Amino acid sequence: MPGATLSRWTMSYFAAACLFLVIGECMLAAGYGYPFAEVGAPETLALVHLVAIGWLGLLMVGALLQFVPVLVAAPLRGGRLAAPALLLIIAGLLLLLGGFGALAGGPPLSPNLLPLGAVVIVAGFVLVAGMLAATLLAARPLPHPARFVAAGLLALVATVLIGACFAVLLSGAIESDLLTALVVHGVPLHAALGLGGWLSFTAIGVSYRLLPMFMLAPDNVRTTTKVAWWAGTAALGLVAASVGLAVIEPSAMTGLLVLAMLLTLGLTVLYGADAVRFYRKRRRKAVELNIRASYAAFAALIASVAMFALPAMRAAAGEGAAALVYLFVFGWLSGLGLAQLYKIVPFLTWLECYGPVLGRVPVPRVQDLVSERRARLWFYLYYAAVSAATFSLFMGSNPSFRIAALAQLAATIALIVEFARARNLSAVAAASRFPVGVPRPHLFLPPFRHRSEP
Amino acid sequence: MNPASANSPAPRELDVRPILRSGGEPFQAIMEAVSGLKPGQALRLLAPFRPQPLFKVMAGRGFAHAAREIGGGDWEVLFTPEEAGSPVAFSADAEDPEVWPDPTVNLDLTELDPPEPMVRILSAAESMQAGEVLFALLSREPLFLYPELAKRGHQWAGNFDETRTTFRIFVRVGKVKA
Repeated sequence: MPGATLSRWTMSYFAAACLFLVIGECMLAAGYGYPFAEVGAPETLALVHLVAIGWLGLLMVGALLQFVPVLVAAPLRGGRLAAPALLLIIAGLLLLLGGFGALAGGPPLSPNLLPLGAVVIVAGFVLVAGMLAATLLAARPLPHPARFVAAGLLALVATVLIGACFAVLLSGAIESDLLTALVVHGVPLHAALGLGGWLSFTAIGVSYRLLPMFMLAPDNVRTTTKVAWWAGTAALGLVAASVGLAVIEPSAMTGLLVLAMLLTLGLTVLYGADAVRFYRKRRRKAVELNIRASYAAFAALIASVAMFALPAMRAAAGEGAAALVYLFVFGWLSGLGLAQLYKIVPFLTWLECYGPVLGRVPVPRVQDLVSERRARLWFYLYYAAVSAATFSLFMGSNPSFRIAALAQLAATIALIVEFARARNLSAVAAASRFPVGVPRPHLFLPPFRHRSEP
Repeated sequence: MNPASANSPAPRELDVRPILRSGGEPFQAIMEAVSGLKPGQALRLLAPFRPQPLFKVMAGRGFAHAAREIGGGDWEVLFTPEEAGSPVAFSADAEDPEVWPDPTVNLDLTELDPPEPMVRILSAAESMQAGEVLFALLSREPLFLYPELAKRGHQWAGNFDETRTTFRIFVRVGKVKA
């Protein structure tokens, strides 16, 4: 039977993700990692992986476990693996961070934690990829948004496998000329596959379904969407091919990567055009805050990709184009993530609490679970802080970067408080909060009373 | 009542035998007839031979064919559009939706913000007798509604219309479980 039920562990993934985001932003504000250390320093690597795996990775997996069934109108396969996958990814990430700590000179830690952590993370993501791939495979032919997710899953597998190779070499467990060549030339490819292929391509696919859903816009597949998918998959293919070249003929990579960059720019423009089309064709006149806050994320995506395509901007953005990577990670991916959480958390909470009594007693609307006026200020603060932090990195001004990171941390915590308030139904008038038969939601653990249900 | 074909118009009939008998070329007339079909409408073609080359042309335009000889060497071919709406989805326990009674409640929920359509359908079902049928138009497939219907013992059948902009759903109210 088609249909989508609540994913039991999604809220736990979201909670863990938010916790890692707060920790990461505390580290930024405290001056840990880049720009206070080198881009390639172990401190920076620890920070980058905390944000990429702990915040963005867990956020995306939590969202996909809920929304891949909605994309393909089929139930999730292997849903009972969600909890072990979450534990494996968190445990693996902590081991990995310990390994980076050892490289940074932490005496009680051993670099051997790196390959150990990598193996555990690979195991966690393999479970995730298995669940989602099985769900997608059972629903062929894939609807267009789901194709983006399928390509994103391939990029995820490539990213974690390359990362595992790095971990093995950096720990000194294995010496190999091929692996050394991969580490020397392959780090940007690992980052591109992870941030671009896995996180961005997947986010784009999910948003192709969620944006029209939230705005009541027609979601018929247009040529722009098809071309965007082909451009993106071609770019991913070129990056993947470059991984092979990095080992055997690094000088040949440049041409492929320039082409991949141009394709990515094309994809970004087409996706932006589709997002504008959804907005113009929407039937819901007043859009909610999650949509308005997402548009700032789209602006960050287009700005960061466009500037990355210009060599002069790339050079001005610091070591490894750090300022642009920052804008991409915190403006685009994190901004979109926080904006959509602002809708997804109240909606899932509403369905969990009031689904059983819908139609039988009066229930609050989903909008009644949030207070947009207050949250709007936090989103303004968040994007202003990200812009200021990006600008500080361009200017090479470390003190102002820390102030901006502190403001970003404050805005993030305020938004997380809003999510928790939605979970607790705090904004709902007390009289209508808990009609008879409405369970009290757990903050981030699944509703165990549903355990006996299939 | 059949949810799948409730809105499909009757096939259009075209007899090309007179054209061929008078030495004419029927291809133009056939293509004009195809262009004039309503969404989801089939074409019934009568010809003095099995029009093999036409099958490929029509397949290219999204039509399946069923040909049968009708005596005297003449053939009748029914070309049916392959994408007349999307396939009908059913709840696991939906028995014979073709014989459900006509709906007693009709709702047009296409203009409502989600999840309001879901709330309206579940409310309406509460006030109906077991066995009665509700029909609703929605602007999206109600994926989160299906499990709630199933929990309440209601059956459903639904699909998108030919334009894929409106989702049609029939809900047969189930018995209240003791």
